[in-house]
Amino acid sequence: MIARLGRRLVWAVFVVWATVTLAFVVSHALPSDAVRMVAGPQARPQDIARIRSELGLDQSLWVQYARFMSRLVHVAPAGAPQGDKAHATCAPLVGRLHLDLGKSAQQRRPVVTILAERMPRTLVLALAAAFVQVLLGVSAGVLAASRKKTAIDHLAVGVSLLGISAPTFIIGLFFQWFFAYRLRLLPLDGWGDTFMGHVASVILPALTLGVFGAAYYTRMVRDEMIGQLGQDYIRTARAKGLSRRAVVVRHALRNALMPIVTILGIDVGTLIGGAIVTESIFRWPGIGSLSVTAMLDRDGPVIMGCVLVTAVAVVLSTIAVDFVYAALDPRVRAEQ
Amino acid sequence: MGVAIVGALVLFALLGPLLSSHDPYESDFVRGISADKLPVGPNATFWLGTDRLFRDELVRLAVGARLSLFIGIAATLIATATGGVVGIIAGWFEGRMLDAALMRIVDIGLAFPFLLLVMALAAALDHTTPTTILLTLGLTGWLGTARIVRAKTMQLRNLDFVTASRALGQSTPMIMLRHVLPNVAGPLVVVATVSVAQMILAESVLSFLGGGIAPPTPTWGHMLFEGQDYFTTSPWISLAPGLAIMASVLGFNMLGEGLRDALDPQKQ
Repeated sequence: MIARLGRRLVWAVFVVWATVTLAFVVSHALPSDAVRMVAGPQARPQDIARIRSELGLDQSLWVQYARFMSRLVHVAPAGAPQGDKAHATCAPLVGRLHLDLGKSAQQRRPVVTILAERMPRTLVLALAAAFVQVLLGVSAGVLAASRKKTAIDHLAVGVSLLGISAPTFIIGLFFQWFFAYRLRLLPLDGWGDTFMGHVASVILPALTLGVFGAAYYTRMVRDEMIGQLGQDYIRTARAKGLSRRAVVVRHALRNALMPIVTILGIDVGTLIGGAIVTESIFRWPGIGSLSVTAMLDRDGPVIMGCVLVTAVAVVLSTIAVDFVYAALDPRVRAEQ
Repeated sequence: MGVAIVGALVLFALLGPLLSSHDPYESDFVRGISADKLPVGPNATFWLGTDRLFRDELVRLAVGARLSLFIGIAATLIATATGGVVGIIAGWFEGRMLDAALMRIVDIGLAFPFLLLVMALAAALDHTTPTTILLTLGLTGWLGTARIVRAKTMQLRNLDFVTASRALGQSTPMIMLRHVLPNVAGPLVVVATVSVAQMILAESVLSFLGGGIAPPTPTWGHMLFEGQDYFTTSPWISLAPGLAIMASVLGFNMLGEGLRDALDPQKQ
């Protein structure tokens, strides 16, 4: 078990490294000039040269890459004074291990600080969306499966097909128009100033992401449940005299939830990487909208930060899913 | 149902531009503008109204349909061919170095933020044309297909007819081509159909975020984006492309499901 976890973690480090390296090459291959984006179109040549050397962009790609990787995760010297200039853009990881992504070219602030600001907001949105997804998806799926071939079933299947086909930017715009503009119930976009403001602001983006995801879950739970309800153990449970509800919820649903756990884990990982479209529509100040602005601004260090967060979240959630799966299913455990 | 929607879409893309005598790129400042200087709504001259530059919405929608369908189908062909080849090879050599290497590439691809890659590639190619978009979508969209085909190939590999043809002395590439490929073709067609829907969606997301084909070429995603600011005064500007995107994605999804049911003997 521990050896397996170790192997998976080593592999995870490799995938993250490869992803970050690929992103580094891609973001440096962009044709437009990052320095121009900082200095503006009217800047004098000597200012451009100065900013270029300040940002280290006058070095060759190899030198830039070597510096980036050597700074990314490094060991700080023991007893370094507080506020040491050499580690001003670092965030401590474990002990003396530091994470350093440099400074944002646009915002002139350490990337780790920006990410630390944005992470909690994206996390809130991810968890709220996952909650909506599971709640709506599982209940609609169970209802449809237990009333197979009735009007309720057809309705659930039809609505979910519609939900799968409606991209988040269409659902999101519709919600904005209906709930924020017509009914004036909820804020149009943003993050809010007070705690209640945050709560009100998260509802629409979370619903947008959740409705789209719930459509998938409904179909999956329905298919799984129909499969389970046809099994022998269900007949046995019914023959024992258990109520219909007990059979559906306690026996069939428990087994049908296995695949949902897999998908949910991966979904949460992706959501933590930032829901780019939804965050952009609702101007939600999280990782997703950050990565879009960073890309449009050619802000290399911030792009790298966003890629790192996404890759780590996806890889870790995949590993977590595997182990949760083993913990839930005795058959998988026995195989290992 | 799926066939009907997709059929209607193809017809609209082919014949739509003929429905209207207007030019998709030309503003009409005489009839396309309302008394209070806003785009006019749907009427007899402009069936779907005009957009924010007073151009005919219907003809732009039809030109956009051609683009969306072309990009969706062409990108799917590239993705399906790549995913199919990689999946069959990886599945056949399951557990060996080649399979491990290919699957690791897929892992990395799936961990990489897809939109970043596409936007970066689009930016790197400077002027984004339909060809660059479909190439980027096609070359990044094969990862899921490869996984599905690999799983299917692994099942097939140990079946009797494969062993038999090997015993008859057929070479590995020959077996892959003559025996494995026809058997994975069913799932491949289903995945491809649903993938057209996803490609149309991806293209519209790209245009919506500003990383797609440059204006004034009409794309559904960009039309929707443009209409966003006029939602309160002229909702038809974004409603038409929004509904078009939804209908086409719905159509291809339903077609894919219909095909799956038709091709899966267990479901019949």
